[in-house]
Amino acid sequence: MTTHDSESTSFLYPFIDSEETDAQSLLDDLAASARGKAAESARLQKASLDEYGDGLTAAGIDMADRFRRGGRLYTFGNGGSSTDAATLASLFSRPARGRPVAAWSLAADQAVVTALGNDVGFDLIFKRQIIAHARDRDVAIALSTSGNSDDLMTALTEAKQRGLLTIGFAGHEGGRMAAMASAGELDFCYTVHSQSIHRIQESHAMLGYRLWSVAQEHMARPAPNSVEAS
Amino acid sequence: MTTTAEAGGHLVDTDLSADLAAAALSLARRFHDGATLWVISPQWEPHAHHVAVEFVHPVIMGKRALPSVALVEPDPVAQARVASRPGDILLAVASANEPAVVDAMRRAPAWGAMTLWIGAGPRPPAGAANHILWVDSDDPMVPATGRFVLMYHLLWELTHVCFEHSGLLKPDAEECDETVCVTCSDEGRLGEVVIEPAEPLGPALVRTAAGEEWVDVSVLGDVRPNDLVLVHAGAAITRLDDAGQETNR
Repeated sequence: MTTHDSESTSFLYPFIDSEETDAQSLLDDLAASARGKAAESARLQKASLDEYGDGLTAAGIDMADRFRRGGRLYTFGNGGSSTDAATLASLFSRPARGRPVAAWSLAADQAVVTALGNDVGFDLIFKRQIIAHARDRDVAIALSTSGNSDDLMTALTEAKQRGLLTIGFAGHEGGRMAAMASAGELDFCYTVHSQSIHRIQESHAMLGYRLWSVAQEHMARPAPNSVEAS
Repeated sequence: MTTTAEAGGHLVDTDLSADLAAAALSLARRFHDGATLWVISPQWEPHAHHVAVEFVHPVIMGKRALPSVALVEPDPVAQARVASRPGDILLAVASANEPAVVDAMRRAPAWGAMTLWIGAGPRPPAGAANHILWVDSDDPMVPATGRFVLMYHLLWELTHVCFEHSGLLKPDAEECDETVCVTCSDEGRLGEVVIEPAEPLGPALVRTAAGEEWVDVSVLGDVRPNDLVLVHAGAAITRLDDAGQETNR
């Protein structure tokens, strides 16, 4: 069940857990824990924005240029990161304010995902969609708290070869995503330096929000020496 | 109000942390008794999916998998109605004026579901859900900045802490909020009509937090499936209108 530790030792203290009756003490501990974790989340978000401020601005401007040329955004991740990828796509495609642009999550269509997973293998569920959809003016953003997911890496590699702007959101030490960026095989990689998957995901959301803000700001201005796409 | 889109601010204050703690203990107690967590987010479906995957497939190895399902069909009220059983939990991630969520939260007591409501902007009225976990910000971008993600991450983390305190997982004393019949000070339980009477003056099948029962609806006259009524002593004594107010039509 939940607590292997307490289960493994509970035979020594058979009444400790079951006789606990003071809920207020637990509630106080929980509330303090919530505040502590929230403070860490806020600190990590700020540290990540500070560390990658220049890179986020450069990527956001590039994205704006691509959207001006009719480019589309594809986002992808696994599990909770796939839902965060979907939230990020929605931020671009139907923002509460500002200009919507074409964006969608590559995990959104269950027919496509299960067809690819069953027929060609799970590692290719995103890459095959990149092959099908991508044009060189598009953008690919992959979210992975480990930076190591095979299905994301193969899709990013494919996207880079096809001339897309490629962006990775990673965590922990950055994993293969960070290595790809160092080798010039990925345009931007933002690694959130934490060991907590939860805190990493909360920072990923803020990094995505910053990308959107920069892109919006630049789309609202006339493009330098270029003609708007028709 | 605050510009929540800026990082580094105060994300969870004392009040919200107390609300989260209380909600987590209630969640743990319901899960302990076999509840399923149903999640709706008509405006932001990915948040519903994130909550469900969080509980079903924990990111921390060794934590127990808990039953949770995102309900994302076009009519989430209908989906939650058929999914919920007495003892379950309904969690919404939505603004206070999202019509489907307002309706689902109003009906959930008849389904026997405990309710949690995560959102931002103007708050729902007090008592609109058992637990209201709110970001008090006017910024419409809040749902995309990780604030909701933080909220349900914390809820998950705290719920699992509660499982380490098995002595505190006994039934809630919190759910004594049933509407009371003013005439006799006895209970008036919220019910939802399942099957209308087959013949005039016949009973209707009504679901309440206690399950389904055949109820005398002759006082109310015509009732239809999904009507909300107050049930007292085997009879439906009052109908609630769409705003949740008692009505004598």
